[in-house]
Amino acid sequence: MNDDLVKLTIDGIEVDVPKGTLVVDAAKKIHVDIPVFCYHPKLEPVGMCRMCLVEIGLPMRDRGTGELLLDDDGSPKLNFGRGLQTGCTVRVSEGMVVRTTTEPVKEVREDVISFLLSSHPLDCPICDKGGECPLQNLTMEYGPGVSQMDYSLKMHNEKQVPLGDLIYLDRERCIQCARCIRFQEEIVDDPVIQFHNRGRALEIVTMSEPGFDSYWSGNTTDICPVGALTSSDFRFGARPWELTPVPSLSPHSPAGANIVMSTRREAKSGGRSVIKRIVPRQNEWVNEIWISDRDRFVHHFADAPDRLQKPLIRKNGELTEVSWDEALDLVAEKLQAHSTAVAGLSGDRLSNEDLYAFQHLFRRGLGSNNLDLANRRLAGGDVTAQVGLASGSNLQDLGAGDAILVVASDLHEEEPIWWLRVKQASERGATLVVLNLRPTRLDKYADYVFRYAPGEAIVTVRQLVNAAKVETDTAVDQLTAAADTLIKANNLVAFYGYEGLTYTETDTLAKLLANLLLLKNEDKAHAGQINSGLIPVWPHNNSQGAWDMGIHPALAAGYQPVEASGMDAATIYEAVHNGGLKALYVMGADPVGDGRMPNRGQLDFLVVQELFLTETAKLADVVLPAQSWAEREGTFTSGERRVQRYYQAISPLGECRPDWQIAAQIGERLDMGKPAFAASLLFRDLAKVVPQYKGMDYRSLAKVAEQWPLVGGDDVYYGGTSYKNEAGLGQQWAAAAETDEVGLFEVADGDTAVTTNLPLVRIAALYTPGTLINHTPMLADRLAAPTLHLYADDAQIIGLQDGGETVIQVNGRSLSVQVCVNGHAPAGLALLSGVPWFPGMAEFEIL
Amino acid sequence: MTFTEKYAAEIEGIMARFPHKKSAVLPLMHLAQHYYGYMSREAMEEVAAILDLDPTHILSLAGFYTLYYEEPVGTYVLEICNDLACALRGADEFVEMACDKLGVGVDGTTEDGLFTIKTVMCLAACDRAPMLQCNLKFEENLDEEKFEQLIARLRDEAANGRTPPTVVEKVAAYAKSTS
Repeated sequence: MNDDLVKLTIDGIEVDVPKGTLVVDAAKKIHVDIPVFCYHPKLEPVGMCRMCLVEIGLPMRDRGTGELLLDDDGSPKLNFGRGLQTGCTVRVSEGMVVRTTTEPVKEVREDVISFLLSSHPLDCPICDKGGECPLQNLTMEYGPGVSQMDYSLKMHNEKQVPLGDLIYLDRERCIQCARCIRFQEEIVDDPVIQFHNRGRALEIVTMSEPGFDSYWSGNTTDICPVGALTSSDFRFGARPWELTPVPSLSPHSPAGANIVMSTRREAKSGGRSVIKRIVPRQNEWVNEIWISDRDRFVHHFADAPDRLQKPLIRKNGELTEVSWDEALDLVAEKLQAHSTAVAGLSGDRLSNEDLYAFQHLFRRGLGSNNLDLANRRLAGGDVTAQVGLASGSNLQDLGAGDAILVVASDLHEEEPIWWLRVKQASERGATLVVLNLRPTRLDKYADYVFRYAPGEAIVTVRQLVNAAKVETDTAVDQLTAAADTLIKANNLVAFYGYEGLTYTETDTLAKLLANLLLLKNEDKAHAGQINSGLIPVWPHNNSQGAWDMGIHPALAAGYQPVEASGMDAATIYEAVHNGGLKALYVMGADPVGDGRMPNRGQLDFLVVQELFLTETAKLADVVLPAQSWAEREGTFTSGERRVQRYYQAISPLGECRPDWQIAAQIGERLDMGKPAFAASLLFRDLAKVVPQYKGMDYRSLAKVAEQWPLVGGDDVYYGGTSYKNEAGLGQQWAAAAETDEVGLFEVADGDTAVTTNLPLVRIAALYTPGTLINHTPMLADRLAAPTLHLYADDAQIIGLQDGGETVIQVNGRSLSVQVCVNGHAPAGLALLSGVPWFPGMAEFEIL
Repeated sequence: MTFTEKYAAEIEGIMARFPHKKSAVLPLMHLAQHYYGYMSREAMEEVAAILDLDPTHILSLAGFYTLYYEEPVGTYVLEICNDLACALRGADEFVEMACDKLGVGVDGTTEDGLFTIKTVMCLAACDRAPMLQCNLKFEENLDEEKFEQLIARLRDEAANGRTPPTVVEKVAAYAKSTS
């Protein structure tokens, strides 16, 4: 018998569960439902609500001999104690007998429900939770049916208390289970909501500014077992039973957060189906059952009234609506006419199918490798293909004995899900090493924090890697000690980002970290091992896919080197300016708005494919309206190289078409053959070309497995309104090191010299203004205003004060900024948040 | 001057008594309340900043314990117990009488800023009810006459500048008693 398993009997059914399992969870495993309100499988048990009271009997033993006492029939005698016990706080033990359907249990459930309802308004008909409400469901199942309370004696409390502009509290619906408070403390460490007062006056309060200041606040509305916490996005928006749940992926999350879009066709939207809310979809390998507020609320762009709906062609200086055929004919004709001086720029939010079709058009149809991301920030996709996080990994498995390294990234602002998973790994005992220019929120959980001076990122990482090469018993300094821990760890995961770095520097960084992963300790390297490897903190949801699909001037789809490299983005912008290029096709990017391309330069022809009339689109000759991710299906690939599917949630707007289809229809006019009939078929084609995707198709990506905890379905009271994953967990593609010997990377010397004594670095903010987020009204007050962060002495020298406003000139643009002198910036470095990204370090002037 | 600046030495003394700085929260809240007169927003934010906590945590404690006031109070806070045992000895009538005499309601403060009446649960003096606690000092076996005498005496004290013993003195003594 396995020593780690415990055998017990629940309602006559024998079950073996791991030691330490709680009775409620053991019961859940055999689908015996013990009702709960305060218990949540992801939170520590507190036993506050008493709903899970059950009879628990333990085998009796002779006090002298320790032998089991037996009944006449030979079965062990059981001691059920004097009363019921809470199944959420009692852990299983050998021979335990649990009874969940006896009269005393039924009676107490009825009593607990009656007690909770004594102060609960019966406003289910207008409550957002009605229909998926644990209290409502459990009342129907276990409640008394008739109230013993005089309705006039009910407590009445405030019903619309905004805890900030995202979450509303209905005080009289709250049953004081503290799930929300515990989530904020235990899971995400943002303890900005608490109980206030006592007894019947108890209420949830927040003092943060803005109210309920957490990137995770929306999750509390999922786990609230009543309608006390609701989101301003969904409040009074629809009834749960009218909604169609559509599995999807966050269009913002480089970690690949799984979501469900709840949609409804409605008269007020002209009969169109619209997105009413976004809730998490369980994927324990990716986001568990949580999503950040960015992933939850930033979807309104899909339904925005200013979306492009028809193709436009510039006629007599004005963009004029035309038919698709007219627009596509013109684009094909112009691109072909300029095929020796043509280039393509793409965004990295688009699906793999879009990106593949785009590069296919350029490489096959136009014979050009002038192809790049419009705003390429982070190098190392090719390095990741070699030593990326091994397939089959789950960051949830990292703990004691493992190590995580984070370099040049503020995970909390760039990808909160990775921040959460790294934090939790550290809490489980993994060693966390953080190297950054400045303090970040991850430092609090780190075992080693190293701060490098501006321009010394690479030098510092090189020192770390070199230190790891040397066998040492006594560490001479912290860096050596950290290096020793990293190299000796059972598993090693390295995250790297681009804060303050140029593209070339990120390439060096990726290779240095790859070499760290390839270093052998006792004849074994980390690279290629499950739960070890490199993770680039990509700026967008499908930057990884853009590498895989070959949106690169030198690497075709599947990382195959091209014969002659084309122009990269920087060269393209220069050629636009000096006339080296005649035609440019921009898909899902806004280089003009991002400050990368000042104007259309000497271009003869500019075609822009977009959701909105961006700054770039305004200058175009042809504008092609694309469908948002919500209107079609496709795949994204996460930074952990997990290829995942999303599904069509709403009907296409106007005449919009999927990006891949538009590119393929242009290709059709260049004699490249008929476009694929569906995204799934295009994916099948690309999986034949991209070796890493070999064997994948829409069916294999849709495979699911049982996950713990069980959520969704009728169990909303147990796990909250996160959806059970029935649409696919995705597939991680294998890094080369998993199967082949990978040699060390050659790493060039060199950091960029710092040319100024107060360099300026752009730092990330989750709510940095941009085309998509600006369409989300409820986040308007939380958008990161452009802010210059300075160290106190530096601020004094240049004569700026905390809270002041000023105008600075940076990279040739002037910007109005607020000044913040609160200790975030280290001495000798200025930080700029809330603005579009720029590479490396800039000089700035105060105007 | 903030309370953090004014009581720097006391704050340090209090914090030195605890292995975890979070544990110093209640005495620091008393000190802040003394300085600001009640747990004002500044008071909560300052205590939170000293102890590296979220201010919401301080608000939560202020709400849980009755001796922290979230609204400004008078010089003398008369906290009358009207829990069950005291109620059986006439505490409810006593509260009504006291409110009438001072011309304020429960939780109200007299116009001269001297008195605030509050009702509280169990001060552990049931056998001497009606009773109240005036700035942490018990006044027991009260009736209308004794209440009037108490008010007269307090008015007299205040008029002559004999301020009541303050929390800060107790907290300061507590801070110094470290060794």
